[in-house]
Amino acid sequence: MKKAIALALVGAMSVGLLAGCGGGSSSSAAASSAASTEAASEATSPAEPAGATVNTTDPITLTMSWWGGDSRHEAYQNALAAFSEKYPNITVEASYGAWSGWEDKKSAQLYSNSAEDVMQVNWNWLSQYSPDGSKFVDLNQYSDIIDLTQFSQASLDACTVAGELQAVPVSMTGRIFYWNTKTFEAAGVDYPKTLDDLMAAGKAFQEKLGDDYYPLALGEYDRMILMTFYLESVYGKPWVENGELQYTAEEVATGLDFIESLEDNHVIPSIPTMNGKGIDANNSIDKSQVWIDGTYAGIFEWDSSANKYQSALADNSGFVVGDEIKFGDKANGGFSKVSMGLAITETCQHPAEAAALINFLLNEEAGASIMGSECGIPNSAAGLSIAEAADKVKPLVKEANSKVMAFVDFPLDPTYESTDLKANPGGTYADVFGGLSYDEYDSTAEAAEDLVDGIEDALASAAQ
Amino acid sequence: MSAATATKASGRTPFKKWCDENVGLFFLIPWIIGFLVFKVYPFASSLFYSFTDMNFFKGIHQYGIMNYVEIFTDKATTTSLLITFKYAFITVPLKLVFALFIAYILNFKIKFVNLFRTIYYIPSILGGSVAIAVLWRALFRDDGVINTLLGYMGIQGPSWLADRSWALFIICLLRVWQFGSAMVLFLAALKGVSADLYEAATIDGASKTRQFFSITVPMITPVIFYNLVTQIAQAFQEFNGPYIITGGGPRNATTLVSLLVYNYAFKSNEMGMACALAWVMFVIVCILTVIAFASQKHWVYYAD
Amino acid sequence: MKLETRHKIARFFQYFVLIAVGFIMIYPLLWMIGATFKSNAEIFSGIGFIPKNPTLEGYKLAVTQNYGGDINIWRAMLNTYSFVFPKVIFTVISSVIAAYGFSRFKFKGRDILFSIMISTLFLPQVVLNVPQYLMYNTFGWIDSPWYLPLWVPSLFATETYFVYQLVQFMRSIPHDLDEAAAIDGCGPVKTLYKIICPMLSPSLVACGLFQFMWSCNDFMGPLLYVSTPRKYPMSIFVKLSMDADNGFSWNRILALSLISIIPQLIVFFAAQDSFIDGIAAGSVKG
Repeated sequence: MKKAIALALVGAMSVGLLAGCGGGSSSSAAASSAASTEAASEATSPAEPAGATVNTTDPITLTMSWWGGDSRHEAYQNALAAFSEKYPNITVEASYGAWSGWEDKKSAQLYSNSAEDVMQVNWNWLSQYSPDGSKFVDLNQYSDIIDLTQFSQASLDACTVAGELQAVPVSMTGRIFYWNTKTFEAAGVDYPKTLDDLMAAGKAFQEKLGDDYYPLALGEYDRMILMTFYLESVYGKPWVENGELQYTAEEVATGLDFIESLEDNHVIPSIPTMNGKGIDANNSIDKSQVWIDGTYAGIFEWDSSANKYQSALADNSGFVVGDEIKFGDKANGGFSKVSMGLAITETCQHPAEAAALINFLLNEEAGASIMGSECGIPNSAAGLSIAEAADKVKPLVKEANSKVMAFVDFPLDPTYESTDLKANPGGTYADVFGGLSYDEYDSTAEAAEDLVDGIEDALASAAQ
Repeated sequence: MSAATATKASGRTPFKKWCDENVGLFFLIPWIIGFLVFKVYPFASSLFYSFTDMNFFKGIHQYGIMNYVEIFTDKATTTSLLITFKYAFITVPLKLVFALFIAYILNFKIKFVNLFRTIYYIPSILGGSVAIAVLWRALFRDDGVINTLLGYMGIQGPSWLADRSWALFIICLLRVWQFGSAMVLFLAALKGVSADLYEAATIDGASKTRQFFSITVPMITPVIFYNLVTQIAQAFQEFNGPYIITGGGPRNATTLVSLLVYNYAFKSNEMGMACALAWVMFVIVCILTVIAFASQKHWVYYAD
Repeated sequence: MKLETRHKIARFFQYFVLIAVGFIMIYPLLWMIGATFKSNAEIFSGIGFIPKNPTLEGYKLAVTQNYGGDINIWRAMLNTYSFVFPKVIFTVISSVIAAYGFSRFKFKGRDILFSIMISTLFLPQVVLNVPQYLMYNTFGWIDSPWYLPLWVPSLFATETYFVYQLVQFMRSIPHDLDEAAAIDGCGPVKTLYKIICPMLSPSLVACGLFQFMWSCNDFMGPLLYVSTPRKYPMSIFVKLSMDADNGFSWNRILALSLISIIPQLIVFFAAQDSFIDGIAAGSVKG
């Protein structure tokens, strides 16, 4: 009831101005009218963003949400406490949870304009939920508050949808090999650094250890990514550019042949073999006995997943971050992508203060030293050096991330991860690579047609 | 709506008489309010969306029956419908027979009956717990417990999780295994069958089997019918089993309709398609239920 | 003598089936208990339930984790029951009233209303989630401190399963009883709580029991409608400790799940007596 009265008062005092804010988030509705007037004028006149200032006097309440595990929750909470010390007038109400189900909830909130003021977002949310820029504030307007120069232009471009910078790229990620050297020792070979090594390891595993042992295990999506690395390196061109697939079906077929050759040479187990071991769309390799006991001795995973796979091993003393493998001679190949970002929703009534919060978490000494590598290796140059100085960067992830970033050539088109392609089961990647491995195709040429069709459909629907 | 027509029909008759004729309606007032407030809008909007290409973040660009056309022509949806039928036709009879059988045994004077009943209900409590997901895979993977046991008997077990038919089968097993709620209802119904009936039958020299089929079953047909209808409804809406155990694989072999609906709705945001598929399912289950209700008068015994 | 032997064989058969099936039923729980003492690697390696190197780590983490003082296991449990209890009570009361209306009276339009009610069973909840969310959002119920979206609908007999269940049970109660009550001067309301409810008590208990179990396990409702960590119920709290990127300690999650189902086990164990005894009481009166 009190809230309703406050809301009515605020509404009466800044009528018309508030209308520009759209629905408005109820959480901050009770704030002083002066503050909301300022914020509202901000939102109604986006053409004159310059001079956005942070209100350091009136009491303001911001809401923020993120997903993650225990250590991330703790880091954010501590960082928010530090933020409140710096800005005693600003209170941040946090909402956090596990990834499972999180996106379902956030999409419902975004659609009903009831999302938190500041959100930790997945990269694909930007193009998926705000393809026209209507859900998240253009952060270029707040470049006075958020120091955007700390971020690489490429990563900022990746977060620019519909001409608006919809989120600040918190961290970048990419794929790399991880090896369990214990099994490689048993097979009498060193972990692979070239394609020939990899093929040789397949043979050695089969002969020395038996049919059940494989040097590498790849699920459907892993296969797609590795094939992209392979093709980009062999042909020296990006996968998708300007919304168009750069590869013909014939070229893609050579990539599929490459994946097939890995299976044929006992480098990777087939998908049915892996399914039989209890590895599937739901159950990543780290939850399988074959990974835990070293029967499968390698994976091709995100740099941020290093600790997860390492800690799953029964004997993790042999776990190493491998080197990227260069398959062709035209380019290194491969891609990195924005792992996650921080965004301000259009319904936020205090975007300037929200921007200050983002800058605090990513660029400022007090915030970045607490956040460390909890959300991945910081993408902000300042943030990274602060986190390193504070000794808050996980060494394994750092090693993997450096290797990825030093290697990759190409940016990633967001459609690469669109649900129609990536979903497992049901997505194009799963259909093609699963079908291939289950021997449902007569030839790789046929599979390549399907893959190209699926990707072109997805690109067309993204362009709509 | 029926209240309005009823008023008109009784025309000039006194209000009180109308009230007497429609006493039952007063007891339905809360339900009618609840239906109008909480159900009508979601139902109507999902029906509306089903005729659009609704995507919450891209809006609506097209109206028509294209979703329904796609459902009956696209391979993914037709297979999914087919699998769901298979799933329902395997699990519903198995679960009912099993639940009734166990309830029947538990209804004898058994020692520790409370303990047994609780034990049988445990799987239903565990429901979609992560523990089930982990355990089920440990049981059914290639070198898992089931295949090891089969190995002792000299049988080479199949690859449960990689083979399409077997994967569906183990999802069915999970549901049959969670027969607790059906069992509880059967138990409650069995307790309601008067002991006099059995005594009379025993004096007439009827065997236990005979008694079961000619006394027990007829007396509890209302509950059998209830379980049948709700189990059909639940089987066609089954989501948890494939969601936690196989994720819909291998090769979509366990992608039941509700899982597909979920993927359309929340993964690809194709709300139109999700709603259309849900409504197709809805109509199918309604038809099955109408058939079941029509068959009632031949085999269900009611005291009224 | 022969009859005696046959009885014994029947008895043996009964117990054999009960124990064999019972073992299959309870194994997962035993495994889960064992697994709460195991390390991650051991959990995925076999299905024996005796841990090799038992550790209490899982329990220690499960009871001490408090997310900056926002929420801990006990508060989460309290939160769960704070909306589950009203939900259970309101469901039983509102469902029995609606079921009484449907099964004991004849009036125009009854059958149509009944069909409409039954049909609400068949539309998958998934497609209703978003429209419902939008609706509760306009009501201002999202993240309500009183968990309004989670229990208010149950005041209006919206849980069709239970209405239908009670209709079925009510229909097997002879009509003579109502008539006798009417002759004794009981109005319909009095007949409901004096005659029908006692007769029906076992299924009322069963009804409440199911609603209790299902509501405790419900994940989607609280996920969508509760955002404040302080107010998280148990089902969300269990998920809270699961993160895809850093890996997680399974023993802790299993310990959490285990603790969270203990009240449910106790409730079931205790309540089953009343639904069995309730029947007996009902039939004596009848």
